Amino acid sequence: MKNNVKLARIKANLTQQQLADGVGITRQTISLIEKGKYNPSLKLCLQICYRVNAQLDEIFWISEEEFNSEENN
Amino acid sequence: MKKITDERLIMKNLKNIRIAFAVQSLGIFAILFYEFLQGGIDQMRNNPIWLVFMVTTVVLAYLSMNISVDSERTLTQSNRSLQISAIVTLMISLIVGILTANTPGYGIWDGAIIGGIIFICGLVPSYYIYRLRKRKEEVFEEDEDE
Repeated sequence: MKNNVKLARIKANLTQQQLADGVGITRQTISLIEKGKYNPSLKLCLQICYRVNAQLDEIFWISEEEFNSEENN
Repeated sequence: MKKITDERLIMKNLKNIRIAFAVQSLGIFAILFYEFLQGGIDQMRNNPIWLVFMVTTVVLAYLSMNISVDSERTLTQSNRSLQISAIVTLMISLIVGILTANTPGYGIWDGAIIGGIIFICGLVPSYYIYRLRKRKEEVFEEDEDE
């Protein structure tokens, strides 16, 4: 699923490894989340939000049209 | 070894275990089938792997009950279904017990033991399902109260 994790991470001045260490996951998982190839659980989404000082909807919200088009792909 | 905290890797690990389980089950199945071909059903049952296979099947069946109860769309009346299951199990065990007792070479005690075992083996899963449904009903009531 498309998201703004990469943007928020760069804004917070964190590398993938630093963010991964901060939330207790691997750098590979952060990379997959940023590419939209892995859907994190709500718990992990919140942990990422806390680390990059952002709200959940700023990072993970997408419109219904975008959602449907992603589902169809 | 470090404990895995990454949810993606934990999930992947579980999927790997699932594949390994499938391979193992296939292997067990193949061994049992080979034994069956070699010396019939008795030789197959004498192999301790048969016990492993049966225990695994029973555990899997019990775990599946949890899922089937959750996937029921409407709430089943748990008391009623337990009563029906108990009556059906009792009838089946009685019939098997009587038939066993009347078989030449077997006595009334054999019939009672076999009937009793069938009754207990049938009642335990019914009671387990009943407990699961009861718990589900409680959760449902909590949702209604809110």
